[in-house]
Amino acid sequence: MANELLIIRDLHACVQGKEIIKGLNLSIHAGEVHAIMGPNGAGKSTLSAVLTGNPNYEVTSGQIIFRGKNLLEMEPEVRAREGIFLSFQYPVEIPGVSMVNFMRTAVNAKRQYEGQPALSATEFLHLMREKKKLVGMTDKMQNRAVNEGFSGGEKKKNEIFQMAMLQPALSILDETDSGLDIDALRIVSEGVNALRTPDNASIVITHYQRLLDYIVPDYVHVLADGRIVKTGDKTLALELEENGYATFE
Amino acid sequence: MAMQHLNKSQQQELVLVNPEFQDLHIVQEENSHLRLFLICIPSPNRPLAPSPNRPLAYDITVEQNGVGCSTEIYALAYGRQQDAVRIHTHVFHNACEGTSRQVLQFVLNDEAQGDFYGELKIMPHAQRVDALQTNRNLLLSDDALMRTRPQLEIYADDVKANHGATTGQLDESALFYMQQRGIGYHQARQMLIAAFMKQVLAPMSDESQKEFLFDAIDRIVH
Repeated sequence: MANELLIIRDLHACVQGKEIIKGLNLSIHAGEVHAIMGPNGAGKSTLSAVLTGNPNYEVTSGQIIFRGKNLLEMEPEVRAREGIFLSFQYPVEIPGVSMVNFMRTAVNAKRQYEGQPALSATEFLHLMREKKKLVGMTDKMQNRAVNEGFSGGEKKKNEIFQMAMLQPALSILDETDSGLDIDALRIVSEGVNALRTPDNASIVITHYQRLLDYIVPDYVHVLADGRIVKTGDKTLALELEENGYATFE
Repeated sequence: MAMQHLNKSQQQELVLVNPEFQDLHIVQEENSHLRLFLICIPSPNRPLAPSPNRPLAYDITVEQNGVGCSTEIYALAYGRQQDAVRIHTHVFHNACEGTSRQVLQFVLNDEAQGDFYGELKIMPHAQRVDALQTNRNLLLSDDALMRTRPQLEIYADDVKANHGATTGQLDESALFYMQQRGIGYHQARQMLIAAFMKQVLAPMSDESQKEFLFDAIDRIVH
């Protein structure tokens, strides 16, 4: 099929010598939202770590093709510039690095990679002002160091704000709902939905069905013991909510 | 040796960048306020230390002799190659209701060596003193070496005294987070090192001098 954004073939990966992903296959097309659900320890977060090139995880075999290129050969920053974005389950605080400096460096690194001129200070602030509205990011948040002193909800809003700034082709939302109250969940989800286009795609990793009321997936995959064991549409998530993961463990 | 005397209610901010003298002795009278910055960073035309066997060494002594003094000492040292930097502070609370705040940070690359010794003495009659000493060090290479020795001697009972010393490497999770946003590994490192160094200078009130030093830091980490 055309527009294949991401192809994962027979992926095996381990962390600290322990195999966590054990032969995973997945295909994602532009315009799609894929939910990945599963019990704790199934490999959900390992999958996001492997896709982004986290150095603590090792791919032992298999292939990942992103927009026709071998993703596994790329450094983490190159994967990001190619359009892979991870909304971290635990966004990292970076004391002393201002949000503005951080975001401007990131946006311009991507632009340079794409052969576009760097944004001027004025152009950048204009872009930032526009994207801030999407998740209700305040000036106070913008003027602080990256994630420093942010509440759990502010950190997740900041992730979606960064996603809006970088306009990735593939966003991975890793347990974005964890630690969010219902209002923050709604704001974050509306942000994600507003960023959907026919040209990009999302992987929504979640343990609970709740988030999928807001970000409606085209496909739901059950990840258990390092493999995708079942794929369905959004009704599968409801089924899992009712029956749990016991049948897959 | 350089001597300074702060008179009653005098306020002084001193910014010392690679000073020539090695010993600085400051006596504070009642309600005087001292804010001292000691910055040891290499400049292009001058190595940081004359030789590995002869470290760059500073001794800073502050005596609070009057009631209600405040002392702030901020020290920043950046060593590379075979630089050796030694900073020793001696803060004496000889009177009541004094405060002292010390933040000392070393960044050591290559085979550089750092040495911090922080003597903090609160005399028996110096009640209601609030003292804080923080030493944070960043090692950028496996061959860099940091020695740190906080020495607190507290002889009064109604006081607050805290100290902490940490020595570590760059935060790998922060590096990865920045890379995940498209920032190159080396640039991310430079940004984190510069941020760590600039933190010490944040309280400086002379904005133009602060900007000048921030630029110098950006050049050093490149």
